[in-house]
Amino acid sequence: MELFWTIWNHPIVSEYVVRRLPTIVIVLFVILTVAAYLVYAERKVSAFIQARLGPMRVGPYGLLQPLADALKLLSKEDIIPARAERSIFVIAPMISVVASLVVLAVIPFGPGRATITDVNIGVLFILAVSSVGVLGIILGGWASNSKYPLLGALRSSAQMVSYEVAIALALVGPLMFAKTLSMVGLIEAQMTDGVWYVLYQPVAFLIFLVGGLAETNRAPFDLPEAESEIVAGYHTEYSGFRWALYFVAEYTNIVISAAIAATVFLGGWHFPGLTRLAEPGTGLYALLAVLIFAVKVFAIVYCFIWFRWTFPRYRYDQLMSLGWKWLIPAALANILVTGAVLVLAQHLGLVETVRTEAGERLVSLWPWGKLFLIAASLLIGVPIVWILLAVINRRSADFNLRVQRQIRLPERGEEEIFAEV
Amino acid sequence: MHKPEIAITRERLLAAREMVLNMGPQHPSTHGVLRVILKLDGETVIDLDCDIGYLHRGVEKICENRTYVHIEPYFDRLDYVAAVSNDLCYVETVEKIAGIEVPEKAKYIRVILTELQRIASHLLWLGTHAMDIGAVTIFLYAFREREEILKIFENYFGARLTANAFRIGGLQYDIYDGFEEQVRAFCRILPERLKEYETILNENRIWLQRTVGIGILTAEEAKDLGVTGPVLRASGVKWDIRKAFPYEVYDQVEFEIPVGENGDTYDRYLVRMEEMRQSRLIILQCLDKLKKLHPGPVLGKVPKVIRPPVGEVYHSIESPKGELGIYLVSNGTAFPERLRIRPPSLINLQALKKMAIGHLVADVVALIGSIDIVLGEVDR
Amino acid sequence: MAEPRRTWKQVLSRFLLLDLIKGLLVTFKYQAPKHCYTEQYPLVRPKVAERFRGAPRLNLDPETGESLCIACNLCAIACPEDLITVVEAVREYVDHEGKTKKKRVLVDYTYDTSRCMFCGHCQDVCPTYAIELTQEFELAIYRRKDFVWSWEMLEKGIEQPIYTR
Repeated sequence: MELFWTIWNHPIVSEYVVRRLPTIVIVLFVILTVAAYLVYAERKVSAFIQARLGPMRVGPYGLLQPLADALKLLSKEDIIPARAERSIFVIAPMISVVASLVVLAVIPFGPGRATITDVNIGVLFILAVSSVGVLGIILGGWASNSKYPLLGALRSSAQMVSYEVAIALALVGPLMFAKTLSMVGLIEAQMTDGVWYVLYQPVAFLIFLVGGLAETNRAPFDLPEAESEIVAGYHTEYSGFRWALYFVAEYTNIVISAAIAATVFLGGWHFPGLTRLAEPGTGLYALLAVLIFAVKVFAIVYCFIWFRWTFPRYRYDQLMSLGWKWLIPAALANILVTGAVLVLAQHLGLVETVRTEAGERLVSLWPWGKLFLIAASLLIGVPIVWILLAVINRRSADFNLRVQRQIRLPERGEEEIFAEV
Repeated sequence: MHKPEIAITRERLLAAREMVLNMGPQHPSTHGVLRVILKLDGETVIDLDCDIGYLHRGVEKICENRTYVHIEPYFDRLDYVAAVSNDLCYVETVEKIAGIEVPEKAKYIRVILTELQRIASHLLWLGTHAMDIGAVTIFLYAFREREEILKIFENYFGARLTANAFRIGGLQYDIYDGFEEQVRAFCRILPERLKEYETILNENRIWLQRTVGIGILTAEEAKDLGVTGPVLRASGVKWDIRKAFPYEVYDQVEFEIPVGENGDTYDRYLVRMEEMRQSRLIILQCLDKLKKLHPGPVLGKVPKVIRPPVGEVYHSIESPKGELGIYLVSNGTAFPERLRIRPPSLINLQALKKMAIGHLVADVVALIGSIDIVLGEVDR
Repeated sequence: MAEPRRTWKQVLSRFLLLDLIKGLLVTFKYQAPKHCYTEQYPLVRPKVAERFRGAPRLNLDPETGESLCIACNLCAIACPEDLITVVEAVREYVDHEGKTKKKRVLVDYTYDTSRCMFCGHCQDVCPTYAIELTQEFELAIYRRKDFVWSWEMLEKGIEQPIYTR
């Protein structure tokens, strides 16, 4: 007991565990609820897109559907296939869930204590931990000792590895402006500059969105679980609660990648004029900030859902070529162009490096600086990246894709046919 | 207990380059109970074998033990998504061998209903094919339009799927009140809805990548394999039984046969989309002509018990899937001596091996969809 | 396959992702509630067509309340699946003129709905419109043997629980 209190009162423990505990509990509770309701949102939005109603029977407008789903999944029989590798089969979904939940630690949901912790290598931490998640998928697919899961696992490992590169490279662009790896630092940098990085880095934002879709196994990149091809992919043999764990991991990952996009490219919980509405540091300010963040995240999640229910699915080799021949070169070119533009701007005296308590910040001094950076990204960055991609892919099939010859029929209008009748 | 067996399996699994994958009979996209045995190298298909017969009901044998009138409903259950076309083929065969005349008006109604069925069948094909490739929303849009046709069928036939009102010598029912308006209303909405599908799919880069150049079947190969219907026309062969051997009133209406060029999945898609438009034109023309014939008989003179003269007959029609033929041998009694069905799906399915080898697993799914098979017809 | 060269318009529309955006707009449009096509089945019962062929029914004479069936056995002959059994008996009776006459009467009538394919041949041949396929479409039953409808069931119909809230 004595020992416990010593540890409890230890400065590091009290700083990183005790003080954060309420936030951790709240964040976990909220995120898991959100993940459950994301399934509901997905079902509703897809239903509306498809001229349906979606869940309507459980609760008003089906609002209690996630609860019913959870109850059903919990009460289902837990089946482990006879020839499966039991221990790995059991552990695999846990790895996926843990990896996705750990990332929540560094997501800045709001100012001050609304964020669990601010790590100075936040972006690296996210990239590192989220790549563990794929391990759960691969192990689950392998341990099932079945063919469809194996194919799903293989597809997912190749896909995750390729797209992680693109995502990491896409994040470099904004980091060059913020000069920090901390997630909170990224928001503060965008606050001080007054511009969201999506304007400076449209190419990187696009790459991140596409990569994010692929990382979270969303259509049109849902190959690891492509229903019409490999039944359910890596979780074909899973049922009940273990399957639910995969499901939670998947939807948490969607929230996370939307949250990262919102933080890095859309200014996080910051919104112009927020400081005028409420005094920084007050409860109202924090509440508004969290709400703004939630709206931004939901907007991106909505786009994810919207894309899923519109586009057909890529094929495995096309997915690879999109990742390696389009996204990664584009991300690399984007870094080069961004660097060149920044050097040019510094030479012209349009931006300046300012030292603050948190570290160095790149600040564009007056509107001309911002305007220059935005114009440069659109007028120089986008065309250069495009030309480069066109050169790289000029012989590939997907670049030379064109609408095939349309079916040609003799030119006879409806009126003409009916004139004879 | 199972340990040694597992070890053997693993060793085999690790040593072998090829993997045999049983796709089906329970698989989301084999359109029923088709079992495709794939031999894979990675995900590339190196060999393929179709195992059919899971839905075999012995319809041909059943037919030998039923009178000619009794056989009719069984034909709804062959190609169950195009029941009307099947019925048409059967009643025409019997009319041909027994020499029964059908009133003009009944012919027009039959053509309208079969062309509606063609649109319905193609819509269902579009939905499932797009869903196989991953565009789930198209599936529900297509089903919504199909629903309108099924409503017409429910009003006319009294059943939505296993529509059965075609009788030897004509029709069971005359058209109901409001039939023309309902069909015309459907024809009004169809073009814009088709346009919507095409905005989602036609130019979409993912759709193009998934379909262009996939499963190319040249005209020669297609002819050698005996493929018919849209699959054959997509390969560039202008062959349509409605034009070649016009039955009913197809020689009195104007329509075009859409023909593809490359014989790939995208061409098969385009051909079927255009066929829906042509079917719509046929329906509209028939409606105009039907108006002039309206108060009139729909059932010709039919003997109480149909005993066709001794002989044999082959009759085929252009069903939504291809050439649907019936070979009927009569021995002069009320029961057919032999009734053989030539199902378009079964013969078109034989092209799958030719198309699929060398492509990936995902393409096999797309190809099964693009052939448009119905297992009720394949297995009979 | 000689394909035409791409025009600048095509190149530009591909660069601006117009092919994807057009599709997105179509799906976005359909989210308006007015496009909803769903039938809320257990809450709102659909009205099926007049000609709909559903559950079988043996009609009664509306005046006398007796069965319209004259036990002629035509429906059993017309049925392709041979699922109708008509048991008949010949009864002697004395008519109002005092003569003794013979009459066929129905003793039992069963209808196996599990094998029925609802082709409607039985109602077509019935001379007295006794057997009829009605608009009733809820035919699910818990026990397999209950699929064989007895005479009584055919006259009264089966009772289905109505699921509403």
